[in-house]
Amino acid sequence: MLFRSVLTLLQAAVLLTCGAPVLAQDALALILSDQAGQVVAEYDLADLDAMPQTEFTTTTIWTEGPVTFTGVTLATVLDAAGLRGASVSMTALNDYSVDIPMDEITETAPLLATRMDGEVMSVRDRGPYWIVYDYDADPAFQTETNYARSIWQLNRLRTMD
Amino acid sequence: MLAKRIATLAVILVLSLFLGVLGNNVLVQLRGLSIAETDNMQWTILQVETEIANLQVAVLEALTDDNPDLDAVRLRSDIALSRLGPVQNGRTGELFRENAQAMPLLAAIDAFAASLIGILDTPGRLDRVDLVEMRELIVGIRPDVRQLALFGLQLGVERSEARRVAFSDQLWRTGATAIALIAALGVLLLVLDRVLARARQRDLALRASSDRLVSTVEASLDAIVAADQAGRIVQFNSAAERIFGWTNAEILGRKMDETIIPPQHRNAHKAGMDRYLATHEAHVVGGGRVELSALRKTGEEFPVEINITSVRDGAEELFIAYLRDISLRKINEQKLIDARDRALRMDRAKSQFLAVMSHEMRTPLNGVLGVLDLLRTTKLTERQERYVGVAAASGEILLEHVNEALDITRIEMGSMSLSPAPFPLRRCVEGVVDVLSPLAQERNLALELEFGTGMDRHFLADGGRIAQMLTNLVGNAIKFTDAGSIHVSVTGIHGADATSATFAVRDTGPGISPENHERIFEDFVALAHAEGRQSRGDGLGLSIARKTARLMGGDLTVTSKMGEGSTFSLVLPLERVSAPADAATPELTHTRPVSARSILVVEDNAINRSVLHEMLKGLGHSVQEAKDGLEGLNAAKNCAVDLIIMDISMPVMDGIEATRRIRQEAGPNQSTPILGLTAHGREEYRTQAEQAGMTAFCTKPIRLAVLQEVLSGLDRADLGPVVSIDGVVLREMIDALGVSRARTTLDRFRSEFDDGIALLLQETETGVIAEMPALVHKLRGAAAMIGLTGIVVHLDVVSDAMAGDDPAALTSAIQSLRHAANAAQGQALDILSTVR
Repeated sequence: MLFRSVLTLLQAAVLLTCGAPVLAQDALALILSDQAGQVVAEYDLADLDAMPQTEFTTTTIWTEGPVTFTGVTLATVLDAAGLRGASVSMTALNDYSVDIPMDEITETAPLLATRMDGEVMSVRDRGPYWIVYDYDADPAFQTETNYARSIWQLNRLRTMD
Repeated sequence: MLAKRIATLAVILVLSLFLGVLGNNVLVQLRGLSIAETDNMQWTILQVETEIANLQVAVLEALTDDNPDLDAVRLRSDIALSRLGPVQNGRTGELFRENAQAMPLLAAIDAFAASLIGILDTPGRLDRVDLVEMRELIVGIRPDVRQLALFGLQLGVERSEARRVAFSDQLWRTGATAIALIAALGVLLLVLDRVLARARQRDLALRASSDRLVSTVEASLDAIVAADQAGRIVQFNSAAERIFGWTNAEILGRKMDETIIPPQHRNAHKAGMDRYLATHEAHVVGGGRVELSALRKTGEEFPVEINITSVRDGAEELFIAYLRDISLRKINEQKLIDARDRALRMDRAKSQFLAVMSHEMRTPLNGVLGVLDLLRTTKLTERQERYVGVAAASGEILLEHVNEALDITRIEMGSMSLSPAPFPLRRCVEGVVDVLSPLAQERNLALELEFGTGMDRHFLADGGRIAQMLTNLVGNAIKFTDAGSIHVSVTGIHGADATSATFAVRDTGPGISPENHERIFEDFVALAHAEGRQSRGDGLGLSIARKTARLMGGDLTVTSKMGEGSTFSLVLPLERVSAPADAATPELTHTRPVSARSILVVEDNAINRSVLHEMLKGLGHSVQEAKDGLEGLNAAKNCAVDLIIMDISMPVMDGIEATRRIRQEAGPNQSTPILGLTAHGREEYRTQAEQAGMTAFCTKPIRLAVLQEVLSGLDRADLGPVVSIDGVVLREMIDALGVSRARTTLDRFRSEFDDGIALLLQETETGVIAEMPALVHKLRGAAAMIGLTGIVVHLDVVSDAMAGDDPAALTSAIQSLRHAANAAQGQALDILSTVR
């Protein structure tokens, strides 16, 4: 709580004093590669914003109170890149990685969130991208596996056989 | 029972609910287990340490590198900072929040974050000073982060431990409850089993009783039919099948008023049923046995005796009828009634026959005995005299039997009439005793009379009948007692107006065996072996006495012990009356000399007419004949006669009517004495005869002696109604005592009478009337008993003369009394001589 308020004050100060974000948001693009490791696409925020958007509000075990997530479903992103495979390996900035079988990716879940409560997410705030489920919509989403798949600071996707 | 069941159900329900709640809790907890409330907390916490370590490495690398990668430092810083968020916020944060130990650590981390952000967000490139400051911050915070990680680990372990324990407790509770429920169910099962066993047992007992009932119903000889409220038959036992002819299969479910109730009773049945169901007011139901008619299948109606009860079968009322076919009984009853009616008819016919026969026999007997009397007046050899005696005696016995039969018949037909009149009881009883005491003396028996106080007075009854009964009883006592005494007692219990008089005649004879106590009162009992007249009950005397007693509202009974004698008790209700004033003796105008009378004989039977003619002619009288009432009436109109002898039953005009006309019409014979004659008993025409105006009345056969008495009665100046010897009374005495004793009795009476007359004359002469009234009284009673009614009348005249204080009249009266006594004795002996 204290931390959060401090954080908010700092963010406000940064925006007022610098005018531009210190962290190169552009550099934090989503890199998609195929089974061979070949990069097939790199999507920045603008690219993702151009894709069909999905939005829902839910509580999470990591945040306080209901939160609204906006972004593109993972299936849409993969389709856009033309990626096919048995599973998708997702990796975060800190190299945390988790696999998700392709047949467990549905049209609606999970969501590759680009915004939380309408704001883009900084790295400090689990940005740039966060894989989330609409946990409140279905208790079946509230599993250890799905929590593990809810990877934040996501910046790489790679399909696997 | 119901409460028990409700309690059991409630217990099961509560247990089930409890189990349901617990089960639900388990499910919730299971779901809690399946839903990961947090991701791996340890990971999250350790990740903080890891990222801070990574940042430290990046910072150290940048310090040692001449061309440091400051972007990498920034990225690592941001990543490290992002890791701090989840520790402070979210589910992991909850673990530390409000935990006293964690709070300072979190505050230190907060301060670290604020300092780091302060360095990072300071505009401009990170310089070496910044990096050094960052290194110092990182080095400073690492022990705290470590501490927090360890602490988180511990809290996590505790938390999952607590959850496990809670879950285990929950499981344990659920399990325990389940076990309790199972145990409860087990107990319930046991209870149910016991209940079931008991129910089965009861069911068995019920079935056994039901079987017994069924076999009882089936074995019943009475038909048993049960019907419901609508009248539909629901039970029909085998007796019912047999009686009604319907089989069970045919009739069950059908209505009674379509099957076993006769058509004419169906409406009444319906009405009765409706009324009962509406008001429950039963006429037949529960009313005991009633007789109704029922219908067989074949359509015949038959009488039944029926008893209907009702039972409640749930809401329905069930009617059960027990029926018995009584057609056979009814038939038998009818047969019995017919038989009884036939017997009654026969009995009446017999009585009628006896009455007619006795009348019809009396008429020829009149001829026989009359002629025998006449024959005696002719000159006969000794042998002829004996033959005539035998013939006359036989005739007398025959007459006696006819008379007795007639008496019995009269009693049985209810035509015996009593002539109640005020009479002095003491005089009546003493008369009987006086007459019979000579006989007792002859047999050396003491005859005692004990007269109860209060009985010496007048009663209203038929004194003649009472004397007749007493004569029979005392006469029998004397006849059957060889030694000892005869005790006659008269006692009474006085009611309001009437007295219950008891005449007890006790003897010291051989006694009567118990089996004969009733038999001796039966009719004709001993007639079959009537030789020597040795046993009681011979003839009809006792039977007539008892019947007479009963006719008078009393009874005649006997108590006896073999060897100790017998006591006959005659109990009669007698109405008490005051002694009547002596009636004035009516005067007769006709006074004629004794000889040569003119007599009109009116009689339809030619033989009897000629016999009477002969008798009267033999006595020196002139006779005129008429063969019926009308002829007699005409003859009476023509010329005056001294006496009219009038038969009562005649064709054309009977004697009653003729007498009435003679008395009514002014004619020469309007006040001529008329002697009525009848072949019937005394009773039937006595009243009519008196009313018609007959002076006297005789029963056939008329005997010569009687005729003489009647005629001699005409001689007396102040003669009352013409009287005669009462043959019936005399014969009864003869019957009671036997001929020889009767003769002795008569002799004794005669000698006593003569003594009495001598005394009377003496007292009359001296003018000292002392013993005379008692003597006259005594003689009068004796005379009445023997049937010497003529003497009785003369004694009454004497009695009157005594009261009249006229010595001349008294002397005259005594003289005519003596005269009458002579005549009477002759007549009585005459009668006696005709009896064997």
